[in-house]
Amino acid sequence: MTRARIFQGLRGTSASAALALGAVIMLIPANTLPVLTTATTGINRSDTIFSGVAELWRRGFAPIAIIVFAASIVIPFLKIAGLGWLIYNVRHGGPSNPRRLTRIYVALDFIGRWSMLDVFLAAFLTGLVRFGALAMVQARAGIVAFAAAVVLTVLATRAFDPRSIWAKPAADGAPSS
Amino acid sequence: MESVETLTCPLCGLEHRRVSLLPGEKAVCTRCDSVMSRGHRSRGDAPLAWCVTGLLLAPAACFLPFMSAGKLGAERVSALFTGVEALWGNGMRALGALVLFAGGVLPVALLAILGLLLASAKFPSIIPLRGGLIRAARALEEAAIPEVQVLAILVALTRLGGLVHVRMLAGFWCYCAMSLCLLLAEHGFDFGEISPADAAEGSPVAS
Repeated sequence: MTRARIFQGLRGTSASAALALGAVIMLIPANTLPVLTTATTGINRSDTIFSGVAELWRRGFAPIAIIVFAASIVIPFLKIAGLGWLIYNVRHGGPSNPRRLTRIYVALDFIGRWSMLDVFLAAFLTGLVRFGALAMVQARAGIVAFAAAVVLTVLATRAFDPRSIWAKPAADGAPSS
Repeated sequence: MESVETLTCPLCGLEHRRVSLLPGEKAVCTRCDSVMSRGHRSRGDAPLAWCVTGLLLAPAACFLPFMSAGKLGAERVSALFTGVEALWGNGMRALGALVLFAGGVLPVALLAILGLLLASAKFPSIIPLRGGLIRAARALEEAAIPEVQVLAILVALTRLGGLVHVRMLAGFWCYCAMSLCLLLAEHGFDFGEISPADAAEGSPVAS
């Protein structure tokens, strides 16, 4: 056991659950508000995350659309669902298959970073396409909410201590290693 | 408590006796099946060489022109941090800072820290090893994500389509090369090998 991060048991899962709940709340504006506005020769177009993916698909960029869909829509929801499943198992009587749950945790930890794709994409487009009335791309409030959701899911995963999956619940309900 | 003789699984907490690994071998936890340590094929100076190469590329990646976009005769050249400036100017300062750190500052910092750790293992009398550096490297591994930025830029180029004409410039290629150097340096780096006792001081990471 390390000095810097002593096994925290239920306290760790509480922090993780709170952060995951915050991420769920932020995902609502992230998916309903526009993330980017594109203006070109007088025509304005605002895109949400999903409409951006649909536009890529419509223009024939199916592989790119799939990558963006996976990184921006599937991964955040998958992370929250997976974390919820891990927390539920740790809190309710101990996991029946800890080895499988550990694999789920490793997968969640690995995929989290790829959700930042849409944030980098918005930053890049906002910086590059600035031609005044000719062409302009601007980031909108949705991308801020999305970035907050991504950061919260990453923090929620970090707050979850995978060793709690292997801890046997004590008589008072708190897990012990 | 992990010591020089033992290796604790960061995922399930089970302690194991430390063994030396040959290149290509893996130390797998007997309880949770996770890989705790690897015997690297690029043992020796390769990770340090990747760090030095990445650090040499970093100034070019950060300050050389990155992309050029043209629209009806007008041309605009952007650098790595142009997007950060635009977000900052739009009032999205927290978002700008997030992009600045995750895509620019932290990858370079991680390269520098990994380089220092590897150099300290090679020349312990000149550069003493610091436990704080190991903890910093472990924390930065999570937050430094240049490869995600490279993928985002490639997606953005597709998305721009006919809107503007885009050319990739030297800064972009240097950034791609720097990202690759960081990935290779991380792949060849083993926290337990640098100093098992000091590595145990850091927080556990999922491998």
